[in-house]
Amino acid sequence: MDQHRVTITFTLNGKSVTMDVPGAMNALTLIRERLKLKGTKEGCGIGECGACTILVEGRAVNACLMLAAQLDGRDVQTVEGLAHEEGLSLLQESFVKHHAVQCGFCTPGLLMSAKALLAENPCPDKAAIAQAISGNICRCTGYQQIFDSIRHATGAPTGEEKT
Amino acid sequence: MDKAYRTIGKSILRTDAVDKVKGLAAFSADIDLSSPPLVLKVFRSGIPHAKIIKIHTEKALAIEGVLRVFTAKDIPGKNLLGIINKDQPLLAADKVRSAADAVALVAAETEEAALKALDAISVEYEKLPAVFSPEDAMAADAPLIHPKGNQLAARFVKKGDVEAIFQQCASVIERTYRTSMVEHNYLEPDAGIGYLDVDGTLVIYASTQNPHYDHKEIVTLLGVPDDKVRIIQATTGGGFGSKLDLNTQGFIGLALYHLKRAVRCVYTREEAYLATAKRHPLTIHMKTGADATGRLRALRAKIICDTGAYGSYGIAVMSRAAVHATGPYAFEAIDVESLCIYTNNPFCGAMRGFGTPQIAFAHESQIDLHAEDLKIDPLQIRLLNALRPGSETATGQVLTHSVGISQCIEAIRPYYESAISQWATAEHHPYKKRGIGVGAMWYGIGNTGVQNPSTARVEMDLSGAVTLYTGCADIGQGSTTILTQILAETLGLSPEQINVVAADTQFTTNAGATSASRQTYISGNAVKDAADKLSDVLRTEAVNKLRVSKKSLVFADGCVAVATNHEKCVDLASLAKRIHAKGAPLVWQGYFDPETVPLSPTDGQGIPYGTYAFACQMAQVVVDVLTGEITVERIVAAHDVGKAIHPENVKGQICGGTAMGIGFALMEEFKPGETKSMKDYVLPTSMDMPEVIPIIIESHEPSGPFGAKGVGEPALIPTAPAILNAISRALNQRIYTLPANLERVLDASIQSGHFAGRKK
Ligand code: FES
Ligand code: FES
Repeated sequence: MDQHRVTITFTLNGKSVTMDVPGAMNALTLIRERLKLKGTKEGCGIGECGACTILVEGRAVNACLMLAAQLDGRDVQTVEGLAHEEGLSLLQESFVKHHAVQCGFCTPGLLMSAKALLAENPCPDKAAIAQAISGNICRCTGYQQIFDSIRHATGAPTGEEKT
Repeated sequence: MDKAYRTIGKSILRTDAVDKVKGLAAFSADIDLSSPPLVLKVFRSGIPHAKIIKIHTEKALAIEGVLRVFTAKDIPGKNLLGIINKDQPLLAADKVRSAADAVALVAAETEEAALKALDAISVEYEKLPAVFSPEDAMAADAPLIHPKGNQLAARFVKKGDVEAIFQQCASVIERTYRTSMVEHNYLEPDAGIGYLDVDGTLVIYASTQNPHYDHKEIVTLLGVPDDKVRIIQATTGGGFGSKLDLNTQGFIGLALYHLKRAVRCVYTREEAYLATAKRHPLTIHMKTGADATGRLRALRAKIICDTGAYGSYGIAVMSRAAVHATGPYAFEAIDVESLCIYTNNPFCGAMRGFGTPQIAFAHESQIDLHAEDLKIDPLQIRLLNALRPGSETATGQVLTHSVGISQCIEAIRPYYESAISQWATAEHHPYKKRGIGVGAMWYGIGNTGVQNPSTARVEMDLSGAVTLYTGCADIGQGSTTILTQILAETLGLSPEQINVVAADTQFTTNAGATSASRQTYISGNAVKDAADKLSDVLRTEAVNKLRVSKKSLVFADGCVAVATNHEKCVDLASLAKRIHAKGAPLVWQGYFDPETVPLSPTDGQGIPYGTYAFACQMAQVVVDVLTGEITVERIVAAHDVGKAIHPENVKGQICGGTAMGIGFALMEEFKPGETKSMKDYVLPTSMDMPEVIPIIIESHEPSGPFGAKGVGEPALIPTAPAILNAISRALNQRIYTLPANLERVLDASIQSGHFAGRKK
C-alpha cells in the first residue's frame, strides 16, 4: 500500500522525539505500537470511552481521534510521564490511597483528564470533576472513589487547605 | 466483640494499584513478545440462521501476508464449548444460529492483511427461518435452533398450595415485568496472546474470569494432553460475567496448535459487542398474595429467559432467577416455573447477578404494590416479611445465621425518614416530581445447588517466606488482595510479606470461576484451609521449642509466640528448617466447597447455597414530568457482607454496582442488529452518578473466612428496583419494563396526567 508519510517532531513526556509516520496513522497507534508505550489504552477507538486520553499542550484529548501527524511540534504527555524518579505523582498516590483503581483499564485515561483539570482548577468541586471526567467511562467503580481521589489530590502540592 | 485483627477489616493498599496508576500493568493487548505475533481475525456469519453449504477461502488465502484460514474442519478435538451445556462450536460446522457465529479464522502477518482476508471470504448458505423472541421460539411450528428443541431447560420451585392461599389473601397482585438485553461493556475489549514454549506447550495469556475452565476447554478442543496447554490470566479489564465464556482463547489455541507461531487476537469494541454474551432479557409474570397486615403468603411466577443462540450460563440464570423469586422474604407457598429458551438472538450468558437483578425488579415492585394496596409503609412491609434466622426459604432451606436483611432495612431507616420529612416536601419546581423508593435483595453465594469447590496452595520456604498459589482470577474486584489478607492474618504476617502466584494453570490449582460472588467466601476458605494446615504444623513444631501447649501459641510478627508473653517466641525460618529436617511438609493444599444439596428437578427443594448476602437500598429521584428525564439524587446502600475483609473494596463494589444498577434501571438496552458500537449504547458516566452512601452491615457468617460472605453482585441488584419504586412514587404511575428510559417515563407521566396538567 502506497501511503504518504510524514516526519514529525514532538515532545513526549519531556523528551524530544522525531519519527516518520504514515499520514493516516492515529496518535494512539503511534503511542502504543510504534513508541511501545502501552499505558494508554484502546477501549473503543471512536472517542466514546476515554481510555486513550493523553495530554496535548496540557489539554486532555482522545488519542484515537487524533492523527499522529497532528502531534508535530506539540508537547505530549502520557501516563508513563506522570511518575517521577522519587515515586508516584500526588495524583497517582491519591488514586492508590483512595482505592480509585479496580480493573485499572480506565485509570491511565482518568489520570490524564484529572491532571488537565487540576492544572486549570486546583480546587475543583464535585461538579467540576464530574464534568472533566465525563468522557472517561469507568465500568467498575461508579466514579465515587475517583471523585475522592481527584478532590484529595488538590491543594496538596502547595499545602493549601483541603476541603 | 470484634477480635483485634492485624489486616482483616483494614483497607490495605491493593496489590495491583501502583502498577495500574503507572500504566505498567500488562493487559493482553499490551504484552510484547520477542517477535511480533500474527494477527487473528474472526469471520462471522452476519445472518441469524442458516445451513452452511460451502465456505470459500481461496481468495483470502491468496492475499499477501495471509498464512491460513481455519474452518471447523481444522479443529482436531471436540468443536463444542459451554461451561454448563456444550452447544456452541468454536467455528460453525454445519449451520449458524446467530449473526455473530464464527465461521472462519484468519491468521495473517498484519492487521491490514487479516482485514482484507475477512472481506475476501464468502460463504454459501441455505437460509433457515429465524426466531427472535422466546414466544416465537416456543410456537409449535418454530424452526429448531438446536436438535433437542428450543427449550433448553426448565426449573421448578414448588412448595405448598398457592391457589388455596390466594383465596384467603386480602391483597393479590398480578403483573408482568420485562427487562432488557444488557451489554457488560467491561472497559477492556476481549484479548489474548499466545506462543509456543520451548517444550511445545501452548501458552496463552488471556483476559479471563476462569483460567482453569479455559484450560479444560482448549485441551478438549485440540485433543491434546493437559500439560500441553498453559493458560495465564493477563491483567483483566473487568468482566462482569462475559469473560467466563471462551472468547479469544479458543481461536488463539487453534492457531497456535497449527502454526506454532505466536499469535494475538484482540477484539475491537464492535466485535466484543457483537460476539460476546449479554444479560438475559427476562419476561416475568408474577402473582403474589398478602394478608391484611401485609404479610406475604403465596407467590406464583412464570419466568422466561431468552438465552439467544447458545446456553452459556443460561441454565444458571434460569435457576437462580427461580430460586430468588421470593426476594428476601418468607412465603408459605410458592409455585415458580422458569424456562430457558433458545432464539436466534446473540447468546446470553452470565452477567453480574445471574437473573437476580431481573427477578428483583419483579419482587420489589410486587411488594411495593402490596404496600400501596394495603396502605403500609414500604420499609415497614419489608421489615415485616424479612427472612430471619429460623425462616424457611422457597427451596425449604432453613436459615440459621447471618441473615442481615432486617439490619440492612433498619440501617436505611434514618435516611428514609429524613428524606420523607425534609427532602420530599422541600419546595421544588412544579414540573419536577420527587420520589423515594426502596429495593431489597438476597443473593446466594456460589453456584446454585451444584458443587463449586475452590482449592489453594500455601508454601513456606526455609527462610520462612510464604507464597500463595491460587487459581482465582482477579478481574479488578480485588480478590488477590483479599486472599492475601486472609493468608497473612492466619499466619500473623503483613500482606506485603506474602508472595502470590495467581491464575496460571501451570502453577496453580483450580479455584473455579470468578463469578457468583464466590471468591471471597469459597476461595477465601480454601486459602484459609491451607493456611490453617500450615499454621498447625508450625505451632506443633513450636511446642517442642517453647514447651507450652499448642493452644497457647499465636502468630506474631513472623514468629510463633506464647499468647501471654510474646517475648517467648520462635521465628518462622527456624521452625521451617526444623519441620523440613523432619521431612514434614511445608506445602499445604486447601479446599472448600459450600455445603449444598442439589435441587430436586420437580419441585426445586434442596439447599442451593451455603450462605446468602442481603441488602437494602433507597433511591431519591427527581422526575421531570415534561421531558421524562430522571435525576437520581442519592442512593443509600446497606449491604450485609458477613465481614468486610477490605472495607474500601466493599465500598468500591457497592458504588460500582450501584452505577451498573442505574444503567440497568434507566438507560441500558442492547438491541441486536442496532447496537453496534459504544456510540449506540448509553451507559452511566460521571455525570449520571448521584451521591452514594454505602453502609456495611456485618452479620457474621460462621462458615465464611473470618465471617465473610460476598458483595460483587449484590451491589447491583437492589438499585434498579429502588429507582423504579421511586419513579412510581413520584408519578403515581408504575413502569413495568426496563429500562425506564425517556420515552417510558414520559409515557408514564402522560398516563398519570402530570403532562396534561401543564396545559391547564
Ligand atoms: S479508545 Fe479513544 S475514546 Fe475510546
Ligand atoms: S476500574 Fe475498571 S473501568 Fe475503571
